[in-house]
Amino acid sequence: MRILLQPAFILHRRPYRDSSLLLEVFTREHGRLGLVARGAVSPRSRLKGLLQSFTPLLLSWTGDGDLATLSGGEEAGLPVPLLHNRALAGLYINELLVRLLPRRDAQPGLFTAYEVLLADLAIVADEEPPLRRFEKRLLEELGYGLSLDREVASGMPIAAEAHYRYVLDQGPLMVDQTQTGVPISGRSLLALRDGMLNDPAVLKEVKRLTRAALAEQLQGRALKTRELYRIKREG
Amino acid sequence: MMASPLLNQLMAALRCLPGVGPKSAQRMALHLLERDREGAGKLIEALRIALDRIGHCRLCRDLSETEICTLCTHPNRDPALLCVIETPADVLAVEQSTSFQGRYFVLMGHLSPLDGIGPAELGLEILETRLDEGEIREIILATNPTVEGEATAYYIAELARERGIRATRIAHGVPLGGELGYVDGGTLAHAFAGRREV
Repeated sequence: MRILLQPAFILHRRPYRDSSLLLEVFTREHGRLGLVARGAVSPRSRLKGLLQSFTPLLLSWTGDGDLATLSGGEEAGLPVPLLHNRALAGLYINELLVRLLPRRDAQPGLFTAYEVLLADLAIVADEEPPLRRFEKRLLEELGYGLSLDREVASGMPIAAEAHYRYVLDQGPLMVDQTQTGVPISGRSLLALRDGMLNDPAVLKEVKRLTRAALAEQLQGRALKTRELYRIKREG
Repeated sequence: MMASPLLNQLMAALRCLPGVGPKSAQRMALHLLERDREGAGKLIEALRIALDRIGHCRLCRDLSETEICTLCTHPNRDPALLCVIETPADVLAVEQSTSFQGRYFVLMGHLSPLDGIGPAELGLEILETRLDEGEIREIILATNPTVEGEATAYYIAELARERGIRATRIAHGVPLGGELGYVDGGTLAHAFAGRREV
């Protein structure tokens, strides 16, 4: 199979052999896949400066196994300037995608969400709201979307002033219905549903919820990028 | 060709070197055995001694035969300037072509969460101890201009900032003798962002 100039982002790259790279890429129409970029870091390679994360690319490749061979690439736009902690945020999302997205499973909607996320990360003052919106979207695409509309036992709409406990494989329950789950206010559930995450208190609750939901997907494997955050905040 | 088992073993061993495929391994092995047995002996001895004696400098993590390397103990190097760099090969490059007269700290890589390389793997605790000692006034971040290199530089800059130490980043831009039309967009954007007064 030969694919030409497919919109893509690089999620991860690691050196391979002498002058080649193993790339983990996220493409619009072919989902996540592994590519070998032969000779990509040799001094004469045209692709050397190009194959970086957070740069919109058009990639061509051949082969349909688990690892295809990169046959060409062009930039599709300027690299998104993610500086400092924004770069850490970007690496965090890339790690999530590498860990959670199945290979060769097209998710054009998520690809668009990723483009929006990067654009947001480059300009917003606080990187947390776009991260939470993307995490919510990622969970939806994985088939484990959060239910943010109704209390599951009664079927009643979520009330902003009520308090709930979110039980992961069920949904939000009134506080008195259960002892387990992530405690969260109705206001935060609605805010996450609408993607309006400006209030710090809401953000904190929402973060706890998405983190618990992602942890379930990650099946106990810790995210390395989070370590960078943790140490930084402590320091 | 059916080579002897020992010859096969030698060729397989040579292939651990970068850029050496089956064909070159065969040439090397035959050359050593047929034409240069003395050279092979020297090679064995040099490898043995190097493996035995070369470790990492306790201060800068660069390769060194002594506990503290010659660069770290050299009296003419400015102890207030510290250049943080990814690999020993990068140290050689800077030494050969710049007039940098400070000292180094070699990370032996860059932060790469997906490969399991975090602050501990880069010896950042050793770096923090050095920063705490108070002798360093400026830290020059010479990690590679890749996404991971930038993240690493930022992380270390934060460590410096917390201690009130100046952190600078090496410039990125158009290579000397290069033509703008052939430079990739990212580099050119960097070159414009980092322009300076003439």
